[in-house]
Amino acid sequence: MDRPDEKRFRILVCIDGSDECYRGLRYAARLGGGVDADICLLFVRPVDQGLRSGGLEARVVRENLLEWGLELPGTKHLLKGQEILTELGLMSDDWAQQTVHVDKQGDPLGDNSIVYTSSNGKKVTLKLEVAPDIVGGILEEAEGGGYDLLIIGASERWQTSIIKTIWDPAVAQKVVARAPCSVIVARELEQGRGHLICTDGTENAIDIARKDAILASRCDCPISLITVVPESANEAEGADILLRTRQAIEEEGPEVVDSLLKTGQPVEEIVRAGAKYSVIVIGRSNKRRKWWLFETDIAYQILERAENSVMIVK
Amino acid sequence: MEHDTDGTLLRTARSALVTGQGALNKGWHGLFTIPFRAWLTYLMARRWLFIAFAVGAVMLHLPVPEGLTPEGMIVLSMSVMATILFVTEPVPLPTVALLLVVGEVLLLGRASSDVARSLMSDSVLFIMGSLMIAVAVVKQKLDRRLAFLIVRFTGTRTANVCMGITLVSGVLASFVGEHTVAAMMLPVGVTLIRLTSDDPAQVRRLAAVLLFSISYGASIAGVGTPSGGARNAIMIGYWHQFFYNVDDPATWKYAVDYMRWMMFAYPLFLIQVPFVTAVLFITFKPKQKNIARAVVRLRAQLADQGSMKISDWSTIAIFVVVLILWIFASDSIGLGIVAILGAAAFLVVGLVGWEEINNGVNWGVILLYAAVISLGIQMKETGAALWIAESFLALLQPLGADHGFGLWAAVLALTTAVTNTMSNGAAVAVLGPIVLKLAVAAGEDPLVLGFLTAVGSAFAYLTVVGTPACTIVYASGYLKTTDFLRAGWKMVIISTIITLFAASMYWPLLL
Repeated sequence: MDRPDEKRFRILVCIDGSDECYRGLRYAARLGGGVDADICLLFVRPVDQGLRSGGLEARVVRENLLEWGLELPGTKHLLKGQEILTELGLMSDDWAQQTVHVDKQGDPLGDNSIVYTSSNGKKVTLKLEVAPDIVGGILEEAEGGGYDLLIIGASERWQTSIIKTIWDPAVAQKVVARAPCSVIVARELEQGRGHLICTDGTENAIDIARKDAILASRCDCPISLITVVPESANEAEGADILLRTRQAIEEEGPEVVDSLLKTGQPVEEIVRAGAKYSVIVIGRSNKRRKWWLFETDIAYQILERAENSVMIVK
Repeated sequence: MEHDTDGTLLRTARSALVTGQGALNKGWHGLFTIPFRAWLTYLMARRWLFIAFAVGAVMLHLPVPEGLTPEGMIVLSMSVMATILFVTEPVPLPTVALLLVVGEVLLLGRASSDVARSLMSDSVLFIMGSLMIAVAVVKQKLDRRLAFLIVRFTGTRTANVCMGITLVSGVLASFVGEHTVAAMMLPVGVTLIRLTSDDPAQVRRLAAVLLFSISYGASIAGVGTPSGGARNAIMIGYWHQFFYNVDDPATWKYAVDYMRWMMFAYPLFLIQVPFVTAVLFITFKPKQKNIARAVVRLRAQLADQGSMKISDWSTIAIFVVVLILWIFASDSIGLGIVAILGAAAFLVVGLVGWEEINNGVNWGVILLYAAVISLGIQMKETGAALWIAESFLALLQPLGADHGFGLWAAVLALTTAVTNTMSNGAAVAVLGPIVLKLAVAAGEDPLVLGFLTAVGSAFAYLTVVGTPACTIVYASGYLKTTDFLRAGWKMVIISTIITLFAASMYWPLLL
């Protein structure tokens, strides 16, 4: 694998053919519109299990399908993604094209990708990866590709109870928990309604707010801030948090259009206020828990309960 | 289910360690949390392995129940552990076979040479030979000619095309195994879908109907003849092993040959064909009642393939010879030897290379069946099978299901439940010894309960992993896992009714 250029902004979009993933892709196109940004569309195909096909290796079936001129599952979804990017003007037909194939143990058809490169160096990659399981494939690409942002559609079977979260989490839940970069979990992701950045005034929260403000400025998305204090008596403290966060963001250039000070339970208030925004942005706590799987910090509670998209900044 | 065929879990654990390097530098707290997180990830993914071992360890230390020998208790513990591992797959399935082999020596105290001998039988040779034949047949590209035949005779009505696919898939699967047929027919189904529309949303229901016609057609037919699937050869092997005595003419009926099996099972397949199409149409209600455009385009694609080549005729000739030998010589030389002979013939004539066969057969499956059959024999030898059978019977007695129709229904229900969670061959290998001993304990004919188990193992319509054909059509990417449930439960009910009807009205005529 080529060493990724650390100066470029790299977005990984997980494609599974759902409407949600294409909405996520459109959002990625907006964030990655500049020449310094690359986008990778990833479809992960689980390794065919010969044991489950009665002992006849699934590769025999795959080869037969290919000889009939029928492509691998996922190819169609990736090509639809390419069409969307072309429609949005992010790609054009005159880009250079390079096909890459990597043999994978356990699957002779291996990983296949097409890298499209514009004359000014912008890259869009369509990647059909094979992996023992989907989560493993996504994480392997996220770790190896040096991505700044990962976008994944919210699973239909998102588990909300703590027992189910531990026992049988959905793909997006596992990816959020283990991804090395920031993740947007796309739910009804609509553009143009702005980012709502959550802050509690800590150094970590302000740093995250600064990071997201730069990201939001890439797509000219309006930025709003929210902080939640437990009681009315703490409102002065809340106003100070908002002010400090706002100043930190505006020092970087982007403008904050709105600051919301709420009183009550943080999760409920943020989910309620965040419903009218494109994305609720919250940082993952720096505090390492011994029982990390029993993740109960506010970020994960918001992720579970929000009706719209949530971005976990790492 | 997570698999770790190439060490992904270890890599994940390692990467968790690497990405946590910063935290490690922050003091003693990091030293504890980061390795713990990595190990917890690893342990959670392997949880069922540890649960299986824990259950086995507890069972081995429990007092031996009355009527069960200590050896029987060990075999029972191994069977429970193996079943947990089959269903949950925390490790690659051949690992279960390796553990069983080790367990027979270390826990049961059997000599390693005896265990090695018990791994190879005619049933295992049959599984090996038929898989090699399957690869050879798929490589000959006869699927295009089959497709041409189907669309030529069925016309363009979707229902007729589906019934044609079900019938052709079924007839072929009854002789060459459902995986072979699914591999050959899947491109036909997918091509018809693609030629109808490129938009997956437009053809979702049509795709379900066409692809399930292949998989359910192959599944219902897999029990039609002994060569239709590993489960049939396994059951024939069990009957022979458990009841056949060359010196006792009363036991000769347990040496079930190819034709006798067909007489019992083939009519069940034929009766179910129209029901498959009806169930699929009622369940998925495809918008396209006529796929004339796709059929005409497919005919045009297939029409220019020219006349039959020598290799095509050779394939057919070898297969016909194998079939004749299965029918007329298998009772003297064994199903397995005929299958091996057929595979050797494909290699000798040069229709397929060894590398193609080597790459196309998953040898782990053969190892798995060999170990499970060996365990099944141990269940009989140690009395574990009889003890489970008697206990199961005692449970059924208050319900009045300890004999006759009630017992048949209970055996079918048990087999259906088990076969939907593991491969049908493994289901028969695990349940076979128990059911046959159950027949003895209940005073029923072991042939009837054996056939009910073998036939019932085909009712794995509910899950993707239930049958090889279901797994293969699912790999097309057109189906959802919930589609199997939507159509599957109706098929389970219809197949159960037809099988129970056959057991009570038709099979008595043959016994």
